[in-house]
Amino acid sequence: MSSSPTLDNGLSKTATAAEPPTHLILQTALRDVSVLFRTPWIIITRALAFIIQLFVFAFLISGLIHIPGLNFFEYYAVGSVVATIASISFVIGYDIFEEAEEGVLDYLLTLPIPRRQFIIGRALGGAMRAIIYTIPMFLIVAFVWGFTQPFSILTALVSLFLLAFGVTGMSITVAVSVKSANRFDVVLALLELAMSRGSTALYPITFMPFYVSLFAPFSPVSFAADTARMSLVGFTLDLPALAGLIAFVVIFLGLGAAFYFRRLEGGIYG
Amino acid sequence: MITFERTGKRFGNLDAVKDFSITIKDGEILGLLGPNGAGKTTLMLMMGTVYRPTSGTITVNGFDVVKHPNEVRRLIGIAFQDPRVDGILSGFEVLNWHLKMTTTLDKDERRNRVEDALKALDLWESRKKRTWLMSGGMKKKVEDAKILVQRPSIAVFDEPTAFLDVPSRLLVWKMIRRLRDEGSTVIVATNMMDEAERLSERVAIVNKGKLVASETPEQLKGTVKGGEVLELTLNDGSEFRPDMLTKFPEVHDVKKQDNKILVFLNSGTLLLPKIVDTLSTQGFKIESVKLKEVSLEDVFLTYTGQRLE
Ligand SMILES: Nc1ncnc2c1ncn2[C@@H]1O[C@H](COP(=O)(O)OP(=O)(O)O)[C@@H](O)[C@H]1O
Ligand SMILES: [Mg+2]
Repeated sequence: MSSSPTLDNGLSKTATAAEPPTHLILQTALRDVSVLFRTPWIIITRALAFIIQLFVFAFLISGLIHIPGLNFFEYYAVGSVVATIASISFVIGYDIFEEAEEGVLDYLLTLPIPRRQFIIGRALGGAMRAIIYTIPMFLIVAFVWGFTQPFSILTALVSLFLLAFGVTGMSITVAVSVKSANRFDVVLALLELAMSRGSTALYPITFMPFYVSLFAPFSPVSFAADTARMSLVGFTLDLPALAGLIAFVVIFLGLGAAFYFRRLEGGIYG
Repeated sequence: MITFERTGKRFGNLDAVKDFSITIKDGEILGLLGPNGAGKTTLMLMMGTVYRPTSGTITVNGFDVVKHPNEVRRLIGIAFQDPRVDGILSGFEVLNWHLKMTTTLDKDERRNRVEDALKALDLWESRKKRTWLMSGGMKKKVEDAKILVQRPSIAVFDEPTAFLDVPSRLLVWKMIRRLRDEGSTVIVATNMMDEAERLSERVAIVNKGKLVASETPEQLKGTVKGGEVLELTLNDGSEFRPDMLTKFPEVHDVKKQDNKILVFLNSGTLLLPKIVDTLSTQGFKIESVKLKEVSLEDVFLTYTGQRLE
């Protein structure tokens, strides 16, 4: 070819428009967030279900269990906010898998946003959505147990966000790498179960079966639950857990973006 | 300029596109004509960086689609064959978000463009309706409108008027032509002869993943020898053999499809009595006779050996 590559076709500015990637990441994320605001009743019903679960089931259980030096009701309350955000963050993978099946993903892949930024935008959107969704529950817990220290609240929210961002990254990675619908559902459901149930979110590690207690400390959900409880209840930073959370995000978004997402291709394969 | 060079795409052991080479000039409207499964959509999605070619290359304004996909994406807009719109969003929101992602237009400019397109396509009344509540035809118009509002340098419309009623088809064609007049290169994939003929300056015929011809509609018709087609319907064509008619020097080609015989010839009016005579003496009963100018449909048939529908 004799002519050198060019983006200018002598057309209006729209044809050659190059939005900065950060703006495109944000627009991609807001698309996922906006879905939530179109169905606000989901937030309301989930918050109600949360209240019922917490004040009926958890209240009952904590009446049955007496652990010296531990307010189990409080422990469970914070932990269930963390478990909830993890489970909601998984949803973005299902969304993307469905988009791939319906072909909407093919459309999104023609848009002028680089693949990595696209995935990061979706992970960010999923995490923002999960945070917004969990905030009513977080407020209920903070109100009932009187967590008012701004710094502890901030640290807890940061750990929740990191967990959400890592889980969305992981969920999307599974969605774009497993092509069969059956296998995808199973893999994602198992991951969710292992991460939440095999964590310190709802039960202290000393009460777990031996084989669960071996890997529960390494679940990202444990990292987030421990960080949140340490800062809300203990007013200290759980640095190792926080580092674990950051590593979780780096593994699924950083490495994915560097090596994997770039090669993302559209279409459904038999 | 867009160049496909010996491009191929394999899905498993199926060659959806094979050894496909074509150059598309800036500012032209190219019709990509072929039956379902010919490979049109696959070609467009490879150009649009959604699929990676498994062989050959594609460059868009000099950018290789595999090596510089981000540059290519900034030049191209594809209106999909099946509408790819978020059901939960309204037509207005779908178009507005598309513009946010593809242009630097500000809020007012976006609103103006979207409004104009919705009005021009007769969608204004339903602009707030969620697209999942729309009829197939309305959704399809929203899909086409994405690219009409975006005004990309290279606009692809994949069967833009499938499932549309006649007034809507005319509206969409008008808007596509206007887009070309404003400077976009336009590619229209279609399996409808009238669409290819009315819209394109050049028609590329695609069959089984291969390019079989690409010329202006007039040139294509000129390549069919004779310039006239005699269409005969026999009550039973099973005994018919083409050599019964190719013995006449004015007959250039004969194609048989069940009981229908197509004779490509010149001086059809003079030859007609002789042909009828020949067939009658061989014992064939002729049910109908039609003599016409060569159409793009006949071109398609001579190149691919099959009809479109
Ligand atoms: N993602 C895919 N996976 C497997 N086969 C595909 C895929 N997309 C298209 N094909 C096959 O490739 C061939 C060409 O399809 P397509 O490009 O859609 O043709 P057209 O658009 O001309 O109707 C068809 O046989 C189709 O079944
Ligand atoms: Mg197609």
